Amino acid sequence: MLRQWCVGLCRTIAAVLVLAGAQLALPPAAAGQEPTLKPAANPNLVLRGDARCTRCHNQHQSAALLPIGQTKHGTRADARTPPSCTACHGDSRQHANAPDEQRDRPNADVIFAGRKMSDVSLRNFPCLACHENDAKRSHWDGSAHQAADVACTSCHQVHAANDRVRDKRTQPEVCFTCHKEQRNEFDKPSHHPLTEGKMSCTDCHQPHGAVGPKLLRRHGVNNTCYNCHAEKRGPFVHQHQPVAEDCSHCHNPHGTVVENLLKSRPPFLCQQCHTPHTAQIAQLGGQRQGSSLQGAATDGRSGINITQGRGCVNCHTQIHGSNNPATTSPTPKARFR
Amino acid sequence: MKTVPPIREPRPLSAQRAGLSGSLVAASLALGAPGVGAQVTPNDALQRLISPDITAVTIGAAAITGDNADRSLFSQYRDWRDREAMLRLDLDFVRREEATGTWLHMVARDLGLKTPEFRIRHERQGHWKLFVDFNSMVRNYPRTIHTGLDGAGGTNPIVSLLPASGGGNGLDLQTRRRGMTLGGETRLTPELSVDASFRIVTKEGARLFGRGFNCPSAYAASPVCSALAAGADQWAMLLLPEPTQSTTRQLEATLNYVGEDLVLAATYYGSFYKNDASRLAPTISGNLNDPLGNPMGSAAGSVALTDGLRAILQQPIALAPDNLAHQFAMSGNFAFNPQTRATFHLAYTHATQNEDFAAMGLGDAPAGRTNLGGVLDTTLAQLGVSTRPVRDLTLLADLRYENRQDKTPLDDYGRVKGIAFTNANYSLKTLKGKLEGTWRMPKGMRLKLGADHEIFDRGDGTQTDSNASISGFRNETWETGVRAELRKPFADGLAGSVQIARSERHGASYRKPNPLPLTGTTPLSDEAIYSRTAAFPVMFMDRTRDKLKLMTDWSPDAAFSLQATLEGGRDQYSAPTEKGLRDTSFQLASLDAGLALGAKARLSAWYSWSEQTLHVSHLNGYVADLKDRGHHAGIALNGSSGPRLTWGADLLFGFSRNIYAQSTDALASAANRDFLAQSGGLPDVTYRNLRLKLFSSFNLDRQSRIRVDLVHDRSHLNEWTWGYNGVPFAYSDNTTVSLQPRQRVTYLSATYTYRW
Repeated sequence: MLRQWCVGLCRTIAAVLVLAGAQLALPPAAAGQEPTLKPAANPNLVLRGDARCTRCHNQHQSAALLPIGQTKHGTRADARTPPSCTACHGDSRQHANAPDEQRDRPNADVIFAGRKMSDVSLRNFPCLACHENDAKRSHWDGSAHQAADVACTSCHQVHAANDRVRDKRTQPEVCFTCHKEQRNEFDKPSHHPLTEGKMSCTDCHQPHGAVGPKLLRRHGVNNTCYNCHAEKRGPFVHQHQPVAEDCSHCHNPHGTVVENLLKSRPPFLCQQCHTPHTAQIAQLGGQRQGSSLQGAATDGRSGINITQGRGCVNCHTQIHGSNNPATTSPTPKARFR
Repeated sequence: MKTVPPIREPRPLSAQRAGLSGSLVAASLALGAPGVGAQVTPNDALQRLISPDITAVTIGAAAITGDNADRSLFSQYRDWRDREAMLRLDLDFVRREEATGTWLHMVARDLGLKTPEFRIRHERQGHWKLFVDFNSMVRNYPRTIHTGLDGAGGTNPIVSLLPASGGGNGLDLQTRRRGMTLGGETRLTPELSVDASFRIVTKEGARLFGRGFNCPSAYAASPVCSALAAGADQWAMLLLPEPTQSTTRQLEATLNYVGEDLVLAATYYGSFYKNDASRLAPTISGNLNDPLGNPMGSAAGSVALTDGLRAILQQPIALAPDNLAHQFAMSGNFAFNPQTRATFHLAYTHATQNEDFAAMGLGDAPAGRTNLGGVLDTTLAQLGVSTRPVRDLTLLADLRYENRQDKTPLDDYGRVKGIAFTNANYSLKTLKGKLEGTWRMPKGMRLKLGADHEIFDRGDGTQTDSNASISGFRNETWETGVRAELRKPFADGLAGSVQIARSERHGASYRKPNPLPLTGTTPLSDEAIYSRTAAFPVMFMDRTRDKLKLMTDWSPDAAFSLQATLEGGRDQYSAPTEKGLRDTSFQLASLDAGLALGAKARLSAWYSWSEQTLHVSHLNGYVADLKDRGHHAGIALNGSSGPRLTWGADLLFGFSRNIYAQSTDALASAANRDFLAQSGGLPDVTYRNLRLKLFSSFNLDRQSRIRVDLVHDRSHLNEWTWGYNGVPFAYSDNTTVSLQPRQRVTYLSATYTYRW
């Protein structure tokens, strides 16, 4: 395993140098004409070979960087972990070798934050060198986040003891940084329990790339929903085609004002496809009763009964599908039972 | 060429800042520390920074104001509905054995609540991992039901007419999920690893549900369900909570291979759903109300609930049947060279549903059929290739094919007006392709161009099925889209982007459902199927979709950042009709700002406005012009004062207004026109929420900390779903559903954490 890691490391370094040589982003001085650094006089603090960096970036001057030691990256016994800061930040010789008296110390070769941060391909390179060789991230290439130039460190805090995006209680704040529409939707009364900390965005989405649309896990919308709502999978004796096709035809999983995450309130939702029971305009009990629209002889398909309560589903109760095989009247065909 | 700076000697310790004098380095050297670059035993301060080891207990108490009605929205997913005070208890235990990289990680949260969670993970990093995870969740239906129902939430409730609406017993519905996952992974060889997990989730409780029926009905033969000669028609609607007693088991195992150029994962995933509540069979005791809220039979010429309708209302409702799915998948990527990589996925899913009808308590099945025999076989294949032929150009091509074959056998499952029809098979083939190119231009500009094409093939439908209530089907639709994005840095710290996209969906000829009592569909040209008043399902209609998005980021310095987003889109629908869904639209404007207040505090604020519209023109001459408008804002201030005190404040505001504007055209009846003119139509539904969250944490010493959290939440939901203007929407047994529109709740929590 050590051999594998060494080979991988050599490949990583070689690739970084190739990129640098191609002048994609690295400063010219990093292209390699520099003499070899002498070893640092101080001990390593966190990683196996971080002494050159931690002689300055120690607990007094860079306390926020050292908690990387608390993370998996800081587990020295795992030969796969970065041997030194330079594995991600580049060799950074100019930065490391600048005299103390120099006011504007050159940046490290790869900068992950701030206005001077490096190109996204350079920032992602050290992460992907290891993590793309992982089935869970095998579809990063070509994914929506990759195509949008999202850097790994746009979401992940590599140096923090607790990465906010990996904690379901704080993950939404990270995702909402870009997904503002969803931030609004989760603020509505009918929503999945994300803001309550009982779910995370990644329960449904695979941000590192997925086969399905919208970076959904389980290959698509319905299969992702069935993960928790397996009762909707069917198949049923009497199916409802849009239900079998795509739950999001009717539901907005992030949140709506309408009960059950419905995109619109019945009967308007249903009337986008269906025509029956529309002799009466949508209306409410308690609105003007003088007209002929509401009386003792009004039938059950009144404007009130398709508008209030559960709307059309007041009667078509098994709207996701009925498994009732009855051939007798009334047939469950219309999902009455 | 830039001059290479001379290598400098490592700084002497004396030259470093004074703060370093007490540091590990100085101390360790003074004590004769190990040689250069060696790992040393760190001092306490450093140890706390770099060591994950922790044992911590957090204990405290929380209190919440008001009663159920005051906090039903706030407590939807919180176990606070029936409590005024609760215990707070969290545990953390983490140990890492440095020599081997072996972790033991135990976390427990909310142990004082009915929704505890815990996770135990034991692993030797890079070698093996075992974990167990338990979580639980409640869903409290935020509205309160007043009913005379006996046995609510069970499979055999008894319905009794209340003397008046609003009476009866208060009923709060709740569902509770408990889930446990056992899993692990191990590395077999440097290239091979295997991981597996088993998850079991139980769901118990009851959810809002019900039934209703109207006589006469085309679906129920006379004389069982016939119109009355005079007075009130026979119909009824009942609220019947759906019992939930289900278990879902999921098993997943993956064999991973990581080679020189190939990453491959072979996965089995099984999902098994079992529902112990197979049917809901109510009993109707006595009479029910007529549409005006009076007992049936009380109006002149009317009669009490007939035996025919009573029998229909007592027929069992089939609840979700047991089902299962097996899936086998191969997924991974392959690197042709450093510039070109392919991703791929191949999956086959076999899903079945064959719960025995009789065992479910459901009779009258077709002769000889004991279960549906439902089979869905789905094949999925995906292939993507991304390449960087030259330094500044990235190309991507992706193709995805999915074939969902419904192999459920057809049988005679019903009769309408004497004509038999079968169940329906819904097979679906989709083919989606994507081409995308990204060109990185000088000065940081980036141009992305893309094209998408997708085909939906639903087959010719089930010719022995009845399709009433739909104006037309389409077996095939296709959509082609193009999009472009340009990102440009304007100045140091200022960048902007514009995205524009357009797609068009068209399809094959429509198929017109044959009118009852016939089954099946008949293909027709657009001219032949044209009906001025038809409504074609949204997913079949031609659609033109336009999107535009503008974004800008401004970071003039490290302390301040501003992000602005403007986004809009519009879908326009067309079909051989002048009615139905006409268009939808979406707009969003958002502004986010962040400001560092010195080194120890940060202020962030955001505001967002959005609007979604839906425009439906109905066959009977009324037009719905729906809007969902929202204003959302937040401001957060977080920081620390001194080395011991951290604090934060969040103020969140949300306002949604659903506008149900309706109008009429020449096709509207006089009654509808008059009603709309007199009533003004449907009022707006509004939801307003204001939430203040404060916290402060104070480190008493290195090992202990106190933390105080305060949440004040105000909500106002003004809706007409369950009542309007003081008139409740009452079910036929006078059951009502209500929600306190204005809710106000304050939550206060104080905890003490001790770690060692």
